[in-house]
Amino acid sequence: MHPAIAEPLAISSLAPLETSASASLPEKTYSSIVRIEVATQVPNYNEPWKAGRFSGGIGTGFLIGPNLFLTNAHVVSNARRLLITMHGEARKHPAKIVHIAHDCDLALLEVDDFTPFMGLHHFQIGGVPKLESQVRVIGYPVGGNRISVTRGVVSRIDFNTYSHSRSDQHLVVQIDAAINPGNSGGPVLQDGKVVGVAFQGLRSADNTGYMIPTPVVRRFLTDIEDGRYDKYVDLGISDFPMFNPAMQKKFGLTPTSPGVLVAAVTPDGPCDGVLQKDDILTAINNNAVDAAGNILIDGEKVNMNEIVERKFSGDQVNLSIIRDGKSMDVMCTLKPFPPSQMYAVQYDVKPRYTTFAGLVLQPLDRNLYSAHNLTNTRVRRLFTHYLDEGIFKERKDIVILTRVLSDPVNTHLSGHVGTAIESINGENVSSLEHAHQLLHPEKSPDFFVIKCEGVERPIVIPGDKADAASQRTQSSYGITTPANLSN
Amino acid sequence: MKLKDSFSPFLIALPLALSSCCDKQSCQAEKGSGGASQETTLVADGSDALTIRQSLVRINSTIQVWSASQPWDKSAPKKRRALGALLSGNRVLTTAEMAADTTYIELENADNTRIIPAKVTAIDYEANLALLEPDNGDIDSFFEDLVPLSLGSSAKIGDRVDVWQLEDNGMPIVTDAVIQSVDIVSSFANGHFFLTYEAKGSMQSASNSFTVPVVRNGELLGLLSSYDAKDQIIDIIAPEIIHAFISDSADGEYIGFPSLGIAITSTVDPNFRDWLKLSDDVGGLYVTKIRKGSAAQKAGLEKGDVIIEINGMAIGRRGYYSDEQYGRLYWSHLIRGSLKQGDKAELTVLRSGEEKKVTAILDRPEEPLVARDTYDQPPLYLIKGGLIFQELTAYYLKAFGKDWQRKAPLNLLDIMMTPEDYEEGRNKIVFLSAVIPTPATTGYERLRNFIINKVNGQTIADISSLIKAFEQAGPDGLHTIEFAEGPPRTIYLDAKIADVVDTELLKRGIPALSRE
Repeated sequence: MHPAIAEPLAISSLAPLETSASASLPEKTYSSIVRIEVATQVPNYNEPWKAGRFSGGIGTGFLIGPNLFLTNAHVVSNARRLLITMHGEARKHPAKIVHIAHDCDLALLEVDDFTPFMGLHHFQIGGVPKLESQVRVIGYPVGGNRISVTRGVVSRIDFNTYSHSRSDQHLVVQIDAAINPGNSGGPVLQDGKVVGVAFQGLRSADNTGYMIPTPVVRRFLTDIEDGRYDKYVDLGISDFPMFNPAMQKKFGLTPTSPGVLVAAVTPDGPCDGVLQKDDILTAINNNAVDAAGNILIDGEKVNMNEIVERKFSGDQVNLSIIRDGKSMDVMCTLKPFPPSQMYAVQYDVKPRYTTFAGLVLQPLDRNLYSAHNLTNTRVRRLFTHYLDEGIFKERKDIVILTRVLSDPVNTHLSGHVGTAIESINGENVSSLEHAHQLLHPEKSPDFFVIKCEGVERPIVIPGDKADAASQRTQSSYGITTPANLSN
Repeated sequence: MKLKDSFSPFLIALPLALSSCCDKQSCQAEKGSGGASQETTLVADGSDALTIRQSLVRINSTIQVWSASQPWDKSAPKKRRALGALLSGNRVLTTAEMAADTTYIELENADNTRIIPAKVTAIDYEANLALLEPDNGDIDSFFEDLVPLSLGSSAKIGDRVDVWQLEDNGMPIVTDAVIQSVDIVSSFANGHFFLTYEAKGSMQSASNSFTVPVVRNGELLGLLSSYDAKDQIIDIIAPEIIHAFISDSADGEYIGFPSLGIAITSTVDPNFRDWLKLSDDVGGLYVTKIRKGSAAQKAGLEKGDVIIEINGMAIGRRGYYSDEQYGRLYWSHLIRGSLKQGDKAELTVLRSGEEKKVTAILDRPEEPLVARDTYDQPPLYLIKGGLIFQELTAYYLKAFGKDWQRKAPLNLLDIMMTPEDYEEGRNKIVFLSAVIPTPATTGYERLRNFIINKVNGQTIADISSLIKAFEQAGPDGLHTIEFAEGPPRTIYLDAKIADVVDTELLKRGIPALSRE
């Protein structure tokens, strides 16, 4: 695969728009901006056996090719039914998700029958708009049913967090036009081309909207060319700025030397075995890295991660380093790093859990962390250091006792809820599945002894009473499915 | 918090916070006007009034604590007023709350006519008691017409007691209260539970009433440590605790109440009991933690032991025993209320179902890795080139506010919760608390709350070893500072620049670069 870096698009179906008078698009073009009606079912991480909350909403999408509607991932996440409506029409066309990328909040949809959309304008993907240039946001925001157009100026281009996954940072363009619920997934246009996808706003500030710029959109479209979305890849290192004179002296650098300190390398990450702590990273793919970890692309200083941002799983990156005073070049092969999913909000999956004698066990992740009030210091530490301390190597899941459903067999437990399960009958628990197996052995032990991290007094459930307690709690708490081990 | 000397399932009483609007104008006692409820009596004349005025001493304290973020500074002073009970030998008994972290204390007579500076001669933050004595000044004339109270013996449930207060004008107020229950309560330093009487009575809050004496039959029974205005419950530090405190302080060297050094949990859960092989005729407390170097550890007590008897008293499933005088009381009173340092505690424990006898010789616990009760102790620190290092205390963590258990740095909280994981090679935890931007600390400004492992190759056990380790920089003229975690794991400091900066910081008004 190859990165799609800002190749100029030669053909434009529209004449350049020079004055505000020429701002309006032809009616035909509006038709390519569609209203997406979503019915969702949001999983319940508090009581994972429940069906979840049925809800829904409105978003915007636009046609970028034959039966290719681009929108935001968050518009169609957890969707059970999707309906697309053309501008100025009443008919609702059933649609489905073709590709969804939660890490960059983009999704591609198709309608079951494209015939009514034949001949509509396909939007072209443009470049990154200049600061202070004017853009238009078109969509179906709250406050009415018909299409809405707002105008704004590009006020900032920066790396920022994508709130949909909460754990990803990519390039974001800030504009001074409000982006309201319903605008999401709509095109941001300049000179008739798409320069971004409206996707998030700011609660604390009026008239500030954010859009996903086209490098991110292009990367998504390139990534799915092989029929699968592989997600963003990352170097898996922490860098530390080389500003301190003593630090520079220690590494034999001068105040003007390029290079940032490699402060930590994520175990099992793409750079594990390639980079070492205390390497000085001086260039990435021949782009000089400054003391703060920035590189220069197209005259703009950007974070060095921007190089990796545009790469794909399997791509190689050349890293120039100084190690123990010697300059050398090393190659890093980028690869996905599944343990990092610990920090990303999960969508479209059924929560995993198991129950046993009224105890509810769930694996720790961002969803669980948000749903339960997890304050236990050990749990917070396991969550925070899951990657950098390599905890994932030993423990595929951190299994949390999230609830004790009262039953005669467990009423005297206290201080155990909200802690991590360390071991069951002396065996360390490595995953939810493992915990489930240990709690449901072929032959029951005399006692199930469950040790929670940081709590000395174990949970003890007599082997001969466990089954009956499980049955009782399932029936009295309405648990029809006692466990869901996979999603 | 997991590590406690003792544990009680009861709520900690809220400290009394009654406002006092006293100014220092001197008022003669006059005939009182109103304010008397059913239980509160204004005693305007007669011998009672005189006794009260002669045996009560007003205490005016100025309290100033250290700043957690800038450990060389003290924060703004606060004033507190209370009443103390005059004891023989010109001693005044009050709560530790009134004497802890004080920069100045003065005694004032009931009539506001005489004032004398005072000093703290003994203080117990755990039991919330302090003894004051005049510091200098005209001692004889201050105490001239004052009459000390004698210490009374213990009371029982149902006894009537008098709570003594003074109006601003010097008028005594006596509140009649009835002892309703006896319990083990923590009233000042967290996690230390002592015998406390709980009496029902409606107190007047308009007067100077922050910690006041409680009297029975003309003798001092105890000190009021808190008052719950909603339920009208008065917490009274029991006479046993006051007796022990005063006799301990008699030789001028105060030791304090002993401790066993364990944490326990109940054995109510029938499944847990079956697993522990506990028969129905025993109670028992399950030992969850044993503090390093504690009396319990020296005696050979082990985690997982079940304590079924202490000094011949059977301990129930929730930790209560039957006290001859008070009925059901929490076990910790057998250690912390009845015995002193050096006394023996005979424990009967069940270990893997087998009964064992263990004798613990009680002592004071060693200071834990993360010091908890650091009243009157300034934080220990070192500033090097703008890097601020401190020894970790509970005080530092609690400075993160009411919600400190969520807001304080996670790595430091973890040490507080499980110190045993960090004790190896350390007396204390030394950490980088903040960075003052200086030419030496360029690029380090955002580093904070990193635990220090080594400096210049030397292991850091406390602030003194840190100061020593900084004495000699490496041959390249750099100090090497290694953190327990990162990133970054190691930073460097130019020794020469750091020294220049340090001199500069002293000129800028930091009074001292270190305190050890």
